[in-house]
Amino acid sequence: MKGILKVDAKNPEATICNLFARWLKEGRLAAILTPAYSSAGIATVALVSNPEKLSEAAPLLPAMGVNAASIVADIARDASPNAKVGLFLRPCELRAVVELMKLKQVAPESLVLIGADCAGTYKAAGFRNVRGQDADFDNKHVREQSGYAENVNFRTACQMCGHPKPMVFDLAVGFIGMDPDQELWVEAATDKGKVLLEDVDVQAQDEPEKRKKVLESLGAARKAKTAKRIEELDKAMTGPEKLVEYFSDCLNCHNCMKVCPVCYCRECFFDSDTFQRDIGEHVRVSLRKGATRMPSETLLFHLTRMNHMMASCVQCGICEDSCPVTIGLATLFKKVSQNAQKEFDYVSGRSLDEPLPLSTFRESEFLKVGEE
Amino acid sequence: MANYEPKIVGFLCNWCTYAGADLAGTSRMQYPPNMRPIRVMCSGAVDSVYILRALLEGADGVFMGGCHPGDCHYVSGNYKARRRMVLFNSVMKSLGLDTDRVWLRWISAAEGRKFADTITEMTDYLSKKGPSAFKEKWDV
Repeated sequence: MKGILKVDAKNPEATICNLFARWLKEGRLAAILTPAYSSAGIATVALVSNPEKLSEAAPLLPAMGVNAASIVADIARDASPNAKVGLFLRPCELRAVVELMKLKQVAPESLVLIGADCAGTYKAAGFRNVRGQDADFDNKHVREQSGYAENVNFRTACQMCGHPKPMVFDLAVGFIGMDPDQELWVEAATDKGKVLLEDVDVQAQDEPEKRKKVLESLGAARKAKTAKRIEELDKAMTGPEKLVEYFSDCLNCHNCMKVCPVCYCRECFFDSDTFQRDIGEHVRVSLRKGATRMPSETLLFHLTRMNHMMASCVQCGICEDSCPVTIGLATLFKKVSQNAQKEFDYVSGRSLDEPLPLSTFRESEFLKVGEE
Repeated sequence: MANYEPKIVGFLCNWCTYAGADLAGTSRMQYPPNMRPIRVMCSGAVDSVYILRALLEGADGVFMGGCHPGDCHYVSGNYKARRRMVLFNSVMKSLGLDTDRVWLRWISAAEGRKFADTITEMTDYLSKKGPSAFKEKWDV
């Protein structure tokens, strides 16, 4: 089921909140996870259960401090018979949830995936929009981005993102290529999604041509931007010398791992006893080259993380935002993960049915590997 | 580098390649002593972290030996090792690092000759190629 949803009073965000209110009041959902402003105006995420509290919800908030899939992994590892929770997520968050479902870290039964278009976000750090100060801020952003406008203040990863609309969803809401003061695009892909659209006034029709066109040009613009950024990266970083230099500021804080939505281990291998060397072992290792950089094995951490996670990386770039020494991880991971996923003809978060590259195999593939 | 001798860390699967190495030894086949063997239960059990750790700590090469496809003692471990190797090579290539310092080869328990030949070939190759960039690099 798909079509046009009329927007009330030129306020797309309120229109979505009105839907939320209806779903909560009618018991179609027990709670909704949605972007929200804190009272200090900080971009955050809220699990809203009382429709009256929807005044705090800001589903179209264009700032991102966390990939909400991390939150979903924390709260929805197991299904609960009493909870039907709607997740109102950005496409990259949704794709990470899909990866987590395949990694058996998120139980889908209690969840309804509601995806929204996203044309880009600002870093949450430093972003403030105190409630009431600019009540129309989110809508203005949506209006501006409905036709796609390049914005160099967006997060690095967003500037390269070629997935502005959800891929796997129960229900999707779109504003790109629409006139968001008048109408939004809605699409229910599953029964769970159709339940939410029951008795909602949706004018059934196919995806408008204009929307397809804008999405297409956005995709092309982002592709070009990505290619340019990767070209710049290749100049700054290729080969062992430059790689070491690129990561040389690393403090070994592991923030990039902690905020990564798809880095799913409850205890990181790097925090395990395998990496606890006593002083005698450190001296023994140091003797090999005469000196060891401390803290040790920072580059090993990053290289290993790339090997472990690149097949599932959704290129959300939240790792870069969390890095206290601003290592350019977003572009690097974009490049490395794109190349890695291409090997397996895989796109992270594209489908629930595609098996994870490292959990499957075919007998008659990569026949040269191991032979020469 | 004067007197450069490549240092190779080898991960040999218990059921095939390690037995192949044993056969090479008991058959008194000669091969260079540059490879330090580590016996593992399966090539599929070798996480990339061990390969990377060896390389960053200065090994010039890493050798991985597993059962031939279809012959894995655990049915599919070597197929998974193969996929992991594809991913590993892709990451290394993206970063501009050598992909020819890590060799994965299928060597069965009956292939003592192949084992000795492969280690000879790899040692010769790395001798010609020269030492790894990480060998002297202390600040990785």
